[in-house]
Parts: sequence; C-alpha cells; structure tokens
Amino acid sequence: MNSISRGLRNAFRNPTRTISIVLILALSIGLIIAMLAARQAVDAKIQNVKGSVGNTVSISPAGVRGFEGGGTALTDAQLAKVSDLAHVTGVTETLNDRLTTSTTNLQSGINPGELGMRRSGQTGVGTPPSLNENSDGSNSGTNQQTFTMPVEITGVSDASDASTFGGSKVTWKSGAAFDASKDENVAVVGTKIASKNNLSVGSTFTAYDTSIKVVGIYDAGTDFANNGVFVPLATLQKLSDQSGQITSATATVDSLDNLSGVTSEIKSTLGSSADVTSSQDTANQLVQPLESVKSIALFSLIGAAIAGAVIILLTMLMIVRERRREIGVMKAIGASKATIIRQFVAESVTLMVLGLVVGLGLGVLAATPLTNMLVDNSTSSSSSQGASGPGQGGSGFRLGGLRIARTAARESNENVQASVGIDTIGYGLLAALLIAAIGSAVPAYFITTIKPAEAMRNE
Amino acid sequence: MSSVLKVSDVCKTFTQGDQEVKAVDGSSMTVDKGEFVSITGKSGSGKSTLLGLLGALDYPTSGSIDIDGQDITKLSERKLTNYRRQKVGFVFQNYNLVPNLSALENVMLPMEFAGTPKKERTKKAEELLRSVGIEADKQHRRPNKMSGGEQQRVSVARALANNPKIILADEPTGNLDSENGQKVFDLLHGLTRNHETTVVVVTHDLDIAGKTDRTYNLKDGKIKQR
Repeated sequence: MNSISRGLRNAFRNPTRTISIVLILALSIGLIIAMLAARQAVDAKIQNVKGSVGNTVSISPAGVRGFEGGGTALTDAQLAKVSDLAHVTGVTETLNDRLTTSTTNLQSGINPGELGMRRSGQTGVGTPPSLNENSDGSNSGTNQQTFTMPVEITGVSDASDASTFGGSKVTWKSGAAFDASKDENVAVVGTKIASKNNLSVGSTFTAYDTSIKVVGIYDAGTDFANNGVFVPLATLQKLSDQSGQITSATATVDSLDNLSGVTSEIKSTLGSSADVTSSQDTANQLVQPLESVKSIALFSLIGAAIAGAVIILLTMLMIVRERRREIGVMKAIGASKATIIRQFVAESVTLMVLGLVVGLGLGVLAATPLTNMLVDNSTSSSSSQGASGPGQGGSGFRLGGLRIARTAARESNENVQASVGIDTIGYGLLAALLIAAIGSAVPAYFITTIKPAEAMRNE
Repeated sequence: MSSVLKVSDVCKTFTQGDQEVKAVDGSSMTVDKGEFVSITGKSGSGKSTLLGLLGALDYPTSGSIDIDGQDITKLSERKLTNYRRQKVGFVFQNYNLVPNLSALENVMLPMEFAGTPKKERTKKAEELLRSVGIEADKQHRRPNKMSGGEQQRVSVARALANNPKIILADEPTGNLDSENGQKVFDLLHGLTRNHETTVVVVTHDLDIAGKTDRTYNLKDGKIKQR
C-alpha cells in the first residue's frame, strides 16, 4: 500500500459521509456538465442562425410595415444608387399589391374566419361584416360572410432563389419559376390559392384586366405563404400602374465584415425615405433570448464550479482537522509532508472522480431538459415583450431577407438540442480536477503546519 | 558503555497568553547504548515535552541533543524527518495506530516511508508482529478489533520496524491493565537486553520506573537522576 492507495481507501472511511459528499459534488458537477452542454448547443444555434440569415440588408419605404402604416414607395432610381455602392453584390426588389374582387377573378385560398372578419373592418378591404339583429334589438354576435380575403400579389426582380416565394422550405409541386428580368404575363402561385381556383401549370387567371399564365406552383409549408401570387417585377409595375416603384428591396453584401458599413452607407444614401435593417441586426435581435441563455449557462457553470470547490475545500478541511493527530503520528514515524499531502489529494480526487461519474450521469440526463427549459423561458419572455412593442405582429408583407432571418431564428430557438459529447466530458473532467486541486490546496497547506508533536497530545 | 543520547542544558518555552511557561528548564541527561531509562514526574512536569524533543518532534528553545554523535537541534526539517524515520521509534500512550489500516499495514507504514520494498516490508512486519505475540490470525485485524494490550504490542512492533537505535515510549502502560502492562514492559525490557536497543520510557508508574536501569525525575521542568 502506498500513499495513493491509502488516500483512495480513506475516501471510503466513513461511507455515510462519502455518499453525502459524492451526491453534493455530483449535483455540482452535473450542473457544470449540463450548463456546458447547454452553452455549446445554444452557441452552435446562434452561429447557425447568424450564418443562415446571410449578409443582407432589408430596405423598405419609411413608415411601412406590411400593408399597415403610410409612406411613399421607393423608386428604381433610388435602388440603383444602392446597387452602385461598394461591396453590394446585388439588389433584389419587390413590389406588393392587393387584388380585390374588382381587379381579379382569383379567390383567396384562405377563409376570412373570425380573425379575418374582425380585421376587415379595420383595413377597409371588402365589405365590412354586419351583425344579425334580433327581434328585441340586441345583436346575436354572428357575422354574415360577405367579406372575402384579398389576394396578395408580389412582383419580384429575381426568381432564381426559391426562398423568394416564402422561406427556406419552398418546394416546387409543378412547373418552375419565371424569368424575372422580362415583363411577361406569367405567375407562380402557392398550392393553397391554386387549389381554391383550380389552377395548374398552363392555366390562366385574370388580374388588372389581363390574362396571366401560371408557370409554376410551389409549396412553402404554411397556408399563408401558399396563398401568394408572384409575377415578374416589371409585369406588376406595368399592370398596376406603379412604374418604377418598389415596396421592398434586399441588398446582398459581399462579406459579413462589410455588412455594418454597407448598412450605414445605404441609410446615408436613402436618407429618411427608407427604413434600412441589416439581417445581422435582425438576427442579433432574434437570437437575443439565446444569448441570455448562454449567459445564464455561463454564470450557472461558474457558480456550480465555485460551489464544488467550496464543498471539497470544506470537506477536506474538516477531514484534515479530524485527523490532526493521525497526521502528527505519520510525521512522527517518518512520513514526509509530500507523502501526507499526496495521500490527502488522492482522497479528494477520489471523491471528485466519484462525484464526476455520478454527476456525468445527472448532467447527461439534465442537459436537454434544462436547456429546453432555459430556452423556452427566455424565448417566451422575449416574445411577450416583443408582442407588446411597437411595430410588431406584422402582416404577411414580405421583407425579403428579414423575414427569412426571423423564420430561421424562430425555428432555431425551437430546436436547440443539447448533447453531452466527448469534449463536454473532457471539460467536465478538467473542471473536476481543477476543483479537486483548489479544494486540496488549502488543506494541503494546513497539513504542512501540523507538527509531529501533535502525536503526543492526549485527548 | 558508549552513550547514544546526550542532552545538554535543554530548554523548551511555550507562550500561554502573556506568560512564558518553561516546560523543560535546562535539563541534561545521558543514556548509554542498550540502556533502559525511565523519566518520571507528575502530570505537567514536562516529561512528554522532553520525550518529544528527544524524538525530534519539536525543536528545543535552547540547548543541544546529541544522538549517535549528531546534534539534532541543528538539523533541517527534511533531515529531522529522516532522523525520525531511521533512528527512533515511538510508542504512544494511546497507541496511535491508523484506524483504517490493519495491524500488519500499521507496522509496514514506517518501512514504506523508509522506501523498503513491499515484499520485504510485509515479511518483516509479519515477523515483528509474531515477535510481540500477535499471530497471523490477528495480523489483518483493524485496531478497533483488538484489545488495548494487543494494540500497544502492535505499536511496539511498528516502533521497531526500521531497526531504530532508540525507542521512545510515552506512558506505554498508561492505558493498560497490570497484566498487559507487564507484557509490554517485558517486551521493551527484552529489546534492551536482546537487541541492545536503547529505550527511554516516560512513566508516572514508580513500579515500572524501579525496574529500569536508570531513572530520571522531572520536576518543574528540571531533571534529576534518582
């Protein structure tokens, strides 16, 4: 037997105390591992969101959000200046309009429902609903279905990327996109509106008294997005008599490093006529809950590590204090300080390793639920704050990259999966050893101060 | 007979509050090789303090302690550890065995500190335990499964582990009944006669003191040969 094996055996000298200490340490180490895993998972998601939103700048007329607010449309000339800015690799432009029963034969694929009926009176589109009046003069509260949802039509300057039609999940059900550089009377429509109006590739519909041919049908995964109609930008400008007008644009920047500078230049170029938002600004804003989770995880991790160090420190101090005479006897019969310190460090490391093993199990079990709980709390808290803020809860109006960024961020927030990998275990082991070292350092000092004469003390 | 231990004008002073207490006050004594010496005195007379100084458990405030021709008061801490390891063996009143080690492991402990190979120290520990009357069936017992007499005999075996020149025993029979006390005394006495090991025993038992080769009495920190 040597000092290491004696230390190992001493760890089990008082089984009840050992179990208690190991359990407390396990909780501390489990929390460290769970928080490490949470931090890594959240960090990966943040990078993923920031990476997925790309290097884009969203531009919309000042004062506009969806079909709410006022403002004046931007012009091709203004956006040409944006295209000419350094580091801008391209500008995609869109023009939005609403088709009503007087301008199209299309019917919306979405029924007004309770929400649509309520909002129809606020937007002034269609015939406002009226209430059935009872014989006693009171209202029954049931709406008459005289209101139909408007059809949103969007002109786009670039149809090469399917995400233009409603996000990253767009798939083609039939046909394909049009050539957006021409002003042909062609359109792609979503599955919802196509189904409602019996449209297929090759069939036509009427808008602005013009026959428009369907060349593609897409599925974007949601009823709202699948209710859209897209035509080339020039076509919509011509048909809707909005020549040269733009309601939103997305500028693509050559690198993330230049995004901030270009955003400032665009703001400067367009002045007060436009609202300019960088995709990274949006991403940063949207991943804010995840950043909070990351901070919470870091502080919890540090707190758990300190708690672990304090636990092992106090435990070892208590043990050293209890065994003062034994240490004195060992010194009296020829043990060096180093031998005794080695024995006590071995004891403290044994307790830590036991705590690590149990804590690892706890950490693996707790990592995902804890991460989800933190993310859920942060996200819901952030959502409730955001919903009450000005300009939130917008309609289906497209803001190009901004909308994609929001969708990506929202999806990412919902899908944070924490897993305990080899690197997490490695960090946990490192933390445990560090805690054991810190926890043993002070007791080791006390061991050096105990005199061998302690052996002569008769208690 | 050559002297193995020479204490010259040794003082040990402690501070208690504002007062200085002289536990050992200018004591001098000589012990020859293979001699069985007892130090008697009342409780608090400084017996154990003097024994601690002889065993290099503490430094004296002044004076010198020559053991085997070497003044241990001048040694560094590291050399004192070696001195304790090689030259002296301790027997304590409370046995002071490590509770979670077996009798055999307790006896092996000083040999481990001295760097004796495991096989060799196991064999020697078994022999030592047999020589003090602890047979194989009890050698793997922990101290709490042994009687006081047995524990003290294990303690004597441990003190002999590294073949020390001097055995320092602090009230070795103090916690034992007369029968077991006699056994331990005989054991220590046998060491001086058969192995020429010097034994210095601190005791308040005058019967035991009367059977030793030389007796010193300590009173108020001052030592006198009887």
